[in-house]
Parts: sequence; C-alpha cells; structure tokens
Amino acid sequence: MSKRSILHMFDPMPNNSPFDVNMALDAGFDVLMPYSNVKLESIHNLTQDVIFSRSPSGVKKTAIFIGGRDMGLAIDMLEACKPAMVPPFQVSVFADPSGAYTTAAALVACVEASLGKIHGKSLAGSKALVFGGTGPVGIATGVIASLQGAETYLVDHLSLDTANDVVKQYNRRFNAHMLGAVAHNDAEKAALLADADIVFCTAKAGIRVLSAAVLAQARQLKVAGDVNAVPPSGIEGLDFNHSATPLLNAIQAENPVGVGALSIGNIKYKLQQTLLKSLLETETPLFIDFRDAFEKARTLV
Amino acid sequence: MEKPFILHMLTTAKNLSPFDVNMAMDAGWISAVPYINVEPSEVRGLVQDAIFSRSPKGLLRTAIFIGGRETKQAMDMLKMAKNSMVPPFEVSVFADPSGAFTTAAGMVAAVEKELQDKFHTTLEGKNVLALGGTGPVGQAAAVIAAQAGAAVRIIGRQLDKAERIAELCSEEFGDGKINVSAGADADKAEYMKTADVVFATGAAGIELLSAELIAAAPQLKVVADVNAVPPAGIAGVDAFDNGKPLAGSISGAVALGALAIGNIKYQAQSRLLKRMLESDTPLFLHFEHAFDVAREFIRTTN
Repeated sequence: MSKRSILHMFDPMPNNSPFDVNMALDAGFDVLMPYSNVKLESIHNLTQDVIFSRSPSGVKKTAIFIGGRDMGLAIDMLEACKPAMVPPFQVSVFADPSGAYTTAAALVACVEASLGKIHGKSLAGSKALVFGGTGPVGIATGVIASLQGAETYLVDHLSLDTANDVVKQYNRRFNAHMLGAVAHNDAEKAALLADADIVFCTAKAGIRVLSAAVLAQARQLKVAGDVNAVPPSGIEGLDFNHSATPLLNAIQAENPVGVGALSIGNIKYKLQQTLLKSLLETETPLFIDFRDAFEKARTLV
Repeated sequence: MEKPFILHMLTTAKNLSPFDVNMAMDAGWISAVPYINVEPSEVRGLVQDAIFSRSPKGLLRTAIFIGGRETKQAMDMLKMAKNSMVPPFEVSVFADPSGAFTTAAGMVAAVEKELQDKFHTTLEGKNVLALGGTGPVGQAAAVIAAQAGAAVRIIGRQLDKAERIAELCSEEFGDGKINVSAGADADKAEYMKTADVVFATGAAGIELLSAELIAAAPQLKVVADVNAVPPAGIAGVDAFDNGKPLAGSISGAVALGALAIGNIKYQAQSRLLKRMLESDTPLFLHFEHAFDVAREFIRTTN
C-alpha cells in the first residue's frame, strides 16, 4: 500500500484554524495532524520527529504547515525548521498564519494588476496606506508593498506608537521601508488619504473603515483593495464582488477602482491550494513564506 | 475529485469525547478535526474561518459539531455559530454536549413508545418527575417531555438549584412556551403519588428511587434510568430492561434501562450526523431535532 500523505500542522494558538484545515484537506492531504500551543523552541524536535519517522520516499509525502495569528512568530518557526532537516531526511514547510500570508499576497497582486492595467503604474513610487495595518494581514501586505518599492504606511486605528513599533520590527527583519501612521477619526483618515495612490483595507471583518465622506477627500486614489467579506465592507461603495470596478465615492480622484474580498479571495484560494499542492509534488523541499506566496500570486492574476 | 467531508468538532472541555469522534467517522465524515478548550467568544472566529475557506458547494460537505459539558453553553454556542454565518457561506451545526441531547431524546422517545404500547396513551398531560434532573440529560429530557405536553417537575437535592434549572428550561430552552416546575428530593414521596413517568438522570451509582417509593406509587406507568453503572438509579431496573414489568409496581409500570435507551440515542446521534452530510441547506440541530429522529427511528422499526 502506498503511504498516505501527512500534513503536520504546527500552531502556536490553542487551536488550529478551521480555515487551514479545510484548505489542506481540499488540496489533497490524506491525513492532517493538529499540534496546538506549539512553542518556537519545540520546533526543532517536532521537525526531527517528522523527518526521522519515514523513509526518504515517505518524507516526500510529508509536510509541515505553520499556522497561528502572529506573522513574525510564523516566520521564526519556518526558519527554525530549516536547520532541523538532515538530508535526505527533509520535508517542505509552508507558513501561512490564519491564511494571512496568502491573503496579503493575493491582495497586493490584485491591486498591482489593476494599477498596471488601468493606470499604467507600478507599486514602485506609489503611496500606499494599509488600514488595519498592524494585524497579521496588514503587516504582510505592508512588507510586500514596501519591498516592491511603494511608499507604504501601516495605519493603526488607536496608537501611533503601536504602528511605529510594528514598522520598526518588520522593516529590520525584512529590509523593508514602511512608515507608521495613526487615524483615530475621519479627519485623520482624510488627511492621510489626500495624496494616497493605493488603499489596502485589512481591518477586522464587518468594520467600515472608510466612509463615502472620507473617500471624497482622496485626490489621487487609483486602486483600493478590501479583504473584508462580512458586511458592511471596509470601504463604502466597494462591494465584495468588485473586480477593478469604478469606486464612485472617491469623487475627486481620476478613474479610481476597487477590488473586493471575493475577487481577492478567489486568487488567495487558488494561491493557497497551489502552494499546498506544491508541497506534495516537489522533488526538493520548499520553504514557503509570504514573499514566495506573492511571486506565485503574480503569476495567477 | 469530490471534496472530503470535514467535521470541525468544537468542545469547551480539554478533549473531545471519543464517543462523538467514533460516531462522526461512522456516520461518514472523512475528517473529524478537534478544537479543544474553546471559549464561547471564539466561536465566531472559528466558524468564519470554516465558512470562508470553501466554496458554497464545498461547504455542503463541511459541518460543525458542538460538544462540551453544559447545556446552556452549548445552546449559546449553537446560536452564536448560526449568527456567524454569511449566506451563501454557511454550514450545518449540531450541538450535543456530552451526548446529553441525544441521550435525553432517546429516553423520552422510548418512554413515549412504552406509554403507547402498554398503556395506549401519550405524554400529553402526564406527570413526569425528572430525578437528578438538574444535569444536562435531565434538562434536555424535561424540555422535550414538556414540549410533548407533559407536566414535568425537576427534582434535585437543592431546591433552589432545581428551581433555577426549571426556569432555564421553561424560559430559555422552551422559549417561554412550556412550564417546567421544580421540587426538592425530600418531597419525592409526595410527588410519587401522582407521578406517571419517572426519569432517573442523576450521577452514576446513586439510587434516586427506592423500592418502597415504587410500591407506593398508584399511577406509575414508565420509569427510565440512564445509569448503566450499578447500583441502578431506580431500584430493580437493569441496564438491559426494555419495557419489562418493574418489580414491586402496583400499577403495572414498566422499566427502560440504559442500554435500551442507549440504542435509540445512538441512532438519533448517527442520524443527525448523517443528516448534515446529506442536507443541501444548513441545519442547526439540537435536542428538538434529536427527539424528531429518535421518534422516527422508533416509528420505522416498529
């Protein structure tokens, strides 16, 4: 009997995410094994237990998934897996905490595509705002956009210190150049939005971040992307099925368009499926983080 | 390739019950994934993670099971789960904390059958005593029987607790449409004078109804005991009893033991788990639905 494929799902949270579980089973893994409350210092031993219990042909049908809610911790765990491998006993590892990496990769890839197609621009040289910027999707979005050359602001809704702390930490880690900002109210949002080219909305589901009145202050907005699928949408007038659809509420801007959660979700879904399947198909072990996810997302849009 | 059937199993306890896991697998779910120590406040996040990671077509092959130990908590979690759906992204949810809903449903359906077979009557208007009735099985059984028209009294050692639980059953689980009352264990002898039916759902190993009280009950018809561990919760009831005359009863009462009830419970739980597999609309299942399928099982096997 041929060996079944096994995905070991390491998660620092008390439980795995049902999101990751559905995705992994749909990608074709036969068996999922959840590991919850995993600590960074346990990764080495867990990884070696994974690799030394199957033959080199068996480990090809074995992979590790790293979940959780913490974007930085997931990267640390991914890095901690690498030195634990002992070739030919090695497996692929895919980090995607709460799907944040693939969501961010799909969001930036969708926005980038609309920016190029409709406005003939690239991310480099554009000013981008990430609302909900200090959450996992927001941080990954900001890092990807910044690494593509956008002047990227991570916007927190409560505290400039929080935004600046996050920015400092992730700039150092990934050689990015993000900036921190805070927007407590509509006036502060409008001020930030006045000369922004791009808006990424990665705030909590069901929270309206930008009202029509605020959008009316945007003078050079080109593309807005919103990952919120639970009504109301994060950006007023941007529906979850919009796909490079005119964003009518930004009345001062020239031909602004919006990309909604469903369009982004479709790419994200394909992306996560492609990456999960690649774990089973690869001959040499893969180590996948959000940067790899973005490169793959670009080929999908 | 068709997507695999995935059951996300949430519990507030430290572990799932292996009972529920076996039942889920046997009902046809391909993957049963545990989520333990779940706080009610986490339900929304977990549900939305589950619904937003499959297409509406894939979601027909996805469901959520809510375990745990507590009736009210499980019902609250079921409500929260229902409110977290974003149509067309929605899945079925089935609450059965400690198997209490399906156990209660199995017991009440079995009692109803005995009333019909041996006494040609129904639960309508019958006086039911739920002994040790403040636990999860007693609560659900009280509500189900009251909804079927019985006058149910929950008996507990502490009257104030029994009163609190009776009110919870009437107002919360019965939606204010039923009236479950309460009584103290010390007054049991008095209540037995008018009791038609007795449920024993107390902790294992405690005798809740003595031979003397049985002998002194003038209109007792059916007794049901969910306790499978000796001594029996009702004197003289054996776990295998399935409509056997109750020793010492002057009114010709019959007995239902834990295994007879357990068989119907098993069928009810299995049918609800399968119903979620087959339904093309989301279902939100609890003790009422468990009672429906338990009755259906009894009807179709008679």
